[in-house]
Amino acid sequence: MKTVALTRHRHEQSTLTQHRAGRAAKGSAPHGPRRNNVAGYLYVAPAVLVVVGIVYFAIVYTLRISVLDWDGLSPDPVAVGLDNYVRLVEDAVFWRSLGHMAMFALAVLVQMALGLGFAILLHSGVRAKTLYKVLLFLPVVLAPAVMAPVFRQIFDADGELNTMLRAVGLDALAHPWLADPSTALYALITINVWQWTGFSFVLYYAGLTQVDASLIEAARIDGAGNWRVISSLLIPLTRGTTVTLAILGVIGTIKTFDIPYLVTGGGPARSTEVLATYLYQQGITDFHVGYGAALTVVLMIMSLVLTVSQVRRFKLGSEA
Amino acid sequence: MLEIRGAAGRVATQLLITVLVAPFVFPLWSMLQGSLAGDGLGNYSSVLGLPQLPAFFRNSLLIAVCTVVLVYASTMLASFALAKLPFVGKEVLFYVLLLALTMPSAALTVPLFITVQRLGLLDSFVAVILPLTALAIPLNVLLARGFIAALPDELFEAARLDGCGTLRTFWHLVLPLIRPISAVVVVWTFVGAWNEYLLPLLFLQSPTNQTITQLPQFFSTQYGSDQTKIIAGAVIITLPTVIVYLALQKLFERGLTAGAIK
Repeated sequence: MKTVALTRHRHEQSTLTQHRAGRAAKGSAPHGPRRNNVAGYLYVAPAVLVVVGIVYFAIVYTLRISVLDWDGLSPDPVAVGLDNYVRLVEDAVFWRSLGHMAMFALAVLVQMALGLGFAILLHSGVRAKTLYKVLLFLPVVLAPAVMAPVFRQIFDADGELNTMLRAVGLDALAHPWLADPSTALYALITINVWQWTGFSFVLYYAGLTQVDASLIEAARIDGAGNWRVISSLLIPLTRGTTVTLAILGVIGTIKTFDIPYLVTGGGPARSTEVLATYLYQQGITDFHVGYGAALTVVLMIMSLVLTVSQVRRFKLGSEA
Repeated sequence: MLEIRGAAGRVATQLLITVLVAPFVFPLWSMLQGSLAGDGLGNYSSVLGLPQLPAFFRNSLLIAVCTVVLVYASTMLASFALAKLPFVGKEVLFYVLLLALTMPSAALTVPLFITVQRLGLLDSFVAVILPLTALAIPLNVLLARGFIAALPDELFEAARLDGCGTLRTFWHLVLPLIRPISAVVVVWTFVGAWNEYLLPLLFLQSPTNQTITQLPQFFSTQYGSDQTKIIAGAVIITLPTVIVYLALQKLFERGLTAGAIK
């Protein structure tokens, strides 16, 4: 009782400054009348200013530029209405770059399967666990930009991959991987899988730690073998992680730029172009700023759709 | 989790995982080998002898540290307010911040390039630091806000009873309590800024202002087709990241799981 009285006393006193009243309302009476703590705006201001000033500004400005025929320099750009968007719909390179991104997104499944496999194996009493964990995860923290020359060398016509193939008598498979439009995309996807499998692995590894060992034991007693345990227990029990990884994988796909730009430059014959490299080439390298902006709008829409789907998840989830 | 019977089974499993992990190590091994081809260690001394090298590292460090400081300060202040202070319109502001959650830096290239050019900020670090900060804030706010919201309200009530204003509460109560999530924010923001390629490529053009992610291309112009020196350069750039990761390995993994598993 005493505490309550004290709190009330304090409460009345502190209404002198709105600042404190806000805290009081919040801390002691979550169901009471909500007070407005003006300090809140000040605390949120820096983050909001930076995000609105950069990202929101960029969105609005991109929409504005996307209806212009402009080289980015001339003082009087020509307004062309929706011409850039019409051009985009008719642009085969644009559609191909979307197709390539879809391939990158599909390869996320490979990453996830590998990650889950490694996580299960490393939960099964393997020696030197930390060593394998470190080796698998290392690619995640390395800059793709810095690894690009290494991969150019590996996939080169005279590179290590072909040397190895020849060494084991598979000369027929040796191939100028990056110079051939039919294989270049797969080489880049391989690099992507190399880089991100460790990420899937770490999440699955953590997810599996939470699996109740007695469940597995019970299944074993009922005569379940390893495959049965994986398919009927481990895969369903890590479903949350799987969904998270799938979403993060798609987000990663729309961010893809460094590897195609640096390893193949979107070539040969546009076979590895993705939206980010294409808009960079159009908007920055070739000074087709209006068209580059229209391409950017598509990328922004993809990002916003993903964000909305994510935010829904956070609303539904336990995060309050 | 898997049932592995007998010594033979255990050896087979160990072998299986080694064979499966090998392709992931191969590029690193190939990088080391490539860097030693031709002139051997001479490749390294030649790269390390480049007068521009320290500037590249310094620039990357400066950009990463500034980004971390800005992201940390703005994220924590905002997360505290969004989690524990009552004010009108806070949900709206939260979603305003979240909008940029998945925005790729490529989406900013065209509009920001024009703007930065007009403002005369080309070749200044601010042009890289501010967009990096803006893109990093949403995810970090999401993480930190959830963490702070989970702190018991009684703590904040007690602080208030002791006559603590919001700023003191933030400084003496929130900041010490959120250390686990702070470490995550700092480490991943740093890695993100350090590894960023596109924004420095776009905005930093004079050779003295480049960052380490631009080094491979810089080497290509220096050494032409001498691939071994370019690869030796890649090793030198990668080494600090590897060392930091090995030192803070647990932290990196915890960060991922904190961010993705609820």
